Amino acid sequence: MSKKWWSAGSAVTLAGGLLAGCGGTGDDVNPAADTASNGQASASEQTQAGGGQPASKVKIVFGQGADQTDGTKKLVEAFEAKHPEIDVDVREFPNDSTQMHDQLVTILGGKSPELDVVNLDVVWPAEFAQAGFLLPLDRYIQNDGLDLSQYLEGGVNAGNYNGQQWALPRYNNSGLLYYRTDLVKEVPKTWDELLKQAEELKGKGGTQYGYVSQGKQYEGLTVGFTELVGAYGGTILDENGRSAVNSPEALKGLKKLIEIYTSPAVPSNINTFTEKETLNAFIEGRAVFARHWPALYAQANDPSKSKVVGKVGIAPLPAGDARSAAALGGWLGAISKYSEHPKEAWEFLKFLVSEEGEKIIAVNSTQTPTYLKLFDDAEVQQASPLFASRDFVNGLKSAVPRAITPDYAKISGLIQVEVSKAIAGQQTPEQALANLEKQIDQNAAK
Amino acid sequence: MNKRAGPAFYAVVAVFVLIVLFPFFWVFLASVKAPAYLYGDYAFDVIVPKYTIDQYVSVFTNHPFGRYLLNSFAVGLLTMGVSLVVASFASYAIARLHFWGKSFFLGVLLAVSMFPQIATLSPLFLFMQSAGLRNTYAGLVIPYTTYALPLAIWYLTTFFRKIPYELEEAAKMDGASVLVVFGKVLLPLVAPGLFTTAIIVFVDAWHEFLIALTINTKEAMMTVPVGIAMFQGEFTFPWGEISAATVTVTFPIIVLVLLFQSRIISGLTSGAVKE
Amino acid sequence: MRFRQRIRTANWTAYAMVLPAVLIIAVIAVWPLIRTFWISMYDLRLNDPARNELNVSYGINAEKYANSMPLLLSLLNKEAEAASGKSHTELRELADRLARADAGLREDAALQTRLDRINALLDDFKPVPADMQNIHIDKTGAERMRSELSGIGQSLQTLKEQGALSRADEAIGLAKAVQQSFTVPNFVGFGHYARLLSEPRLWEALDHTALFTAIAVALEMLAGLLIALLMNRAFRGRGLVRAAVLIPWATPTAVSAMIWHFLYDGQNGIVAKLFAEIGLIPDMGALLSTRAWALFAVVLADVWKTAPFVALLLLAGLQTISASLYEAAQMDGASRWKQFVHVTVPMLKPTFFVALLFRTLDAFRVFDLIYVLTGGGPANSTESISIYAYKTMFAELDFGAGSALSVIVFACVLLISIVYVKLLGGEVLSRRIG
Repeated sequence: MSKKWWSAGSAVTLAGGLLAGCGGTGDDVNPAADTASNGQASASEQTQAGGGQPASKVKIVFGQGADQTDGTKKLVEAFEAKHPEIDVDVREFPNDSTQMHDQLVTILGGKSPELDVVNLDVVWPAEFAQAGFLLPLDRYIQNDGLDLSQYLEGGVNAGNYNGQQWALPRYNNSGLLYYRTDLVKEVPKTWDELLKQAEELKGKGGTQYGYVSQGKQYEGLTVGFTELVGAYGGTILDENGRSAVNSPEALKGLKKLIEIYTSPAVPSNINTFTEKETLNAFIEGRAVFARHWPALYAQANDPSKSKVVGKVGIAPLPAGDARSAAALGGWLGAISKYSEHPKEAWEFLKFLVSEEGEKIIAVNSTQTPTYLKLFDDAEVQQASPLFASRDFVNGLKSAVPRAITPDYAKISGLIQVEVSKAIAGQQTPEQALANLEKQIDQNAAK
Repeated sequence: MNKRAGPAFYAVVAVFVLIVLFPFFWVFLASVKAPAYLYGDYAFDVIVPKYTIDQYVSVFTNHPFGRYLLNSFAVGLLTMGVSLVVASFASYAIARLHFWGKSFFLGVLLAVSMFPQIATLSPLFLFMQSAGLRNTYAGLVIPYTTYALPLAIWYLTTFFRKIPYELEEAAKMDGASVLVVFGKVLLPLVAPGLFTTAIIVFVDAWHEFLIALTINTKEAMMTVPVGIAMFQGEFTFPWGEISAATVTVTFPIIVLVLLFQSRIISGLTSGAVKE
Repeated sequence: MRFRQRIRTANWTAYAMVLPAVLIIAVIAVWPLIRTFWISMYDLRLNDPARNELNVSYGINAEKYANSMPLLLSLLNKEAEAASGKSHTELRELADRLARADAGLREDAALQTRLDRINALLDDFKPVPADMQNIHIDKTGAERMRSELSGIGQSLQTLKEQGALSRADEAIGLAKAVQQSFTVPNFVGFGHYARLLSEPRLWEALDHTALFTAIAVALEMLAGLLIALLMNRAFRGRGLVRAAVLIPWATPTAVSAMIWHFLYDGQNGIVAKLFAEIGLIPDMGALLSTRAWALFAVVLADVWKTAPFVALLLLAGLQTISASLYEAAQMDGASRWKQFVHVTVPMLKPTFFVALLFRTLDAFRVFDLIYVLTGGGPANSTESISIYAYKTMFAELDFGAGSALSVIVFACVLLISIVYVKLLGGEVLSRRIG
């Protein structure tokens, strides 16, 4: 009896396996094999398009980091209302931008058509364009008469490489200093003041940390490094893409960065902090100061998540002895070269950067628009006090861009390794910069 | 060594089992705690004011976890089917028939089982890309089958060898061909072996990460391990949801283990121990 | 007569029966390995159009050319019209030079038709099929075009410095883009190996991998042996214990890595909290954020997952030792310890070594656990050699160097097997086949 059962079971499995292995279809002996062979590639379309008009609708996929606000949802709804013939699916990526980069590169490097429109970090367009992953947009911009002078210049430039426009700016960011208005009397103007106050105020008002920022070995560390180096008057690359990092100014910046990250005012595990941990620490009321992007503001004032509603202040980042330098962050929209629906993708991209599209994101997700007129819009101004502040908008215009180079990912990786080693005390700051310079130039020479 | 087990012995065993299972217990707890109690003061408490199953709902509604599970099952079952067919033929030939190059083939099998997968990844990726097999089940089933074969062939060869020759001889006397002997006489006899092999091949396919991570990048085609590793919220690790997802994907495996533990153990150990 | 025929049929049947397995193994395992080695001799980068194929000869990426050359031409013409005096003539001349080069290239009728078709596709929002993109051209033609274009690029740079161009960056960028549409041979021989071996990152990755392997495997074998000895007796609930032991093995490594990530979390992780309270680690955050403790964290997670599995293997080995051996020893008055040394150890040795070999090889190619738990950090301190190879291939799309790293992983694995076989005898391996 039991033997029979065994053999019948395995015979079915074998048959199912064979059929599926040969790409056979429509065999109902084995339900598992059946679903499996139908499940290839087209299954998602079948399941997801189910219920709508079957034939004429085109589905495009928009890839971006996970959005915990309603912004993206509303944006897609607004677009679909206007273009009933296009369905937009949002594919979420990790928000750790290094991870998102690696995944995107694996997808696009494999020439996969699975993405149509992609959100790119401000530092990626050069690399992606050089790699041939993106559709050049010039033809379409010209045909549809898009006026790029209406946009924040830094953002437009970030999408331009080798004279062609590969991506359009959706929202721009610059680093900001967040502080607790109930604890901080006088907003620190320099990094030294910040450090002093952070050490003094740590522990007051239920806090555990004086200052939190992004210290993990990932893109955030490159941003922090760029800001400190900029604040003390240094730069990372010169105009020709050669290293300029081994300079006294950059050394001052790096030393200050190390001083901050090894101070008792920051969490002892600051080197695991990304934007997530920073945000958590701040909205749970555990930190006095935090360095973050404009998007923190909405979440810090959301009573369902935050314990510090109404006690959130924002200020420009502190200055070094040269200036206050906030790194230009932000995201651009672009079209994958491997998209099977570039026409629809362009419609969607155009909507993303339109006045209407950027407004939805500005109002719902407090992301800073790049379409300049929006800063005069009453609703936008209401969404965040930042958007109403001339200083902020001007600051954005002067934010330091990170190096525009197709080798950005590589160079940023080198910075992350050398700087985190220096913070960990495994090498002196001088050694870190010397190593960095050597490696950047070696890489450029290749 | 058959000493009677005393209370001290049971205490040691209990501690050991506790250590082994504690992570699962803790993750299960995290999956049913209301999110607010996962962090801060209640983070280390077992008893919290509020429990919920919302996180399980969210795993299936806000994230395509049903899809990941389906993909993993499909890939696992297909790999299992294909490997069993190919391996049972090959291992019969190895166990029973004489042919030139057998020991060379066995050597190659052994070597392949030791290949680091990363060493074949780049051509595999380029091949799947040009063949249009990325983001399909075939894209995973093909390499998984390849890596399952050495294992499956070894296990099955052991099983074939255990069957007494007399049975076969009797059938041959009646004039049955090799294929008939194989299909009608031997295959039913090694069915338990096939079953054990099937479980192990399935579990290996269920576990695989590196190839799945690179070949199937499309969300709708991801398998469970990759889906879990990619689980991210915007600015937080959504530990509640991750825990719920972990429990969900561990559950079928626990059932499998409880049902078939003696078969799995005999399969796992058959290679290492001379019986 | 009959008998011989019988053997021959059996022979052919045997080949037919192993053929599918042989084919699959040859095509999907052996051939890719050889190919990996082959790729490692090329500078293959999927993110560089000039080097994204294995080129032994010169060629042109027609799509890229079609997308940049006409733009550059029209831009130069516009600039020339707008300029005056000396720069006008210079620009005019440059534009003509470029047009001549373009026309020279298009004399090849096949290329001309190809470009026309690509243009039509592009205007129509249609993708250009991969097989249409690359066209081979001869070396002299390619070299001439490349030097011509770099000359034009330099002249443009000079003109920019003189302030003669209104859209200088655009023009220079386009000239670069046109130049990049020509592909060059990218065979580098053992270049990648030479460079990698001279860089510290490879040696550090090998260090971490070897350290991880040594510590994790040693602990696993030791813990596994203790558990196996403990369980090698009849007791109530034994089946339950065995099932419990199987569960970590049955959990995918990526999933268990995620579980440990949660337990190790610097703010809310229970294991981090526990270790900090008993004073094992300086503070809760240390586990994933400091060099030594991150490695410790990875090792612990690996031991948790595999020690029970090793125990099962060894337990099976223990159970094959016949009780009569122990009885005989007892008769001779041997103590428990002596019984262990003289009976258990020699009888268990073969099983132990098989487990040791396979655990070592597994641990050496560790990927999932580290990828999910630490991503190789902090400061690359847990980067294993497989992680390094993966990152090079799939984050930097440098398939040449990444393949070279994969070959190095393979070589190490081979070396380990050879050393084990030399030390323990080939019997260890062949036993595996039963």
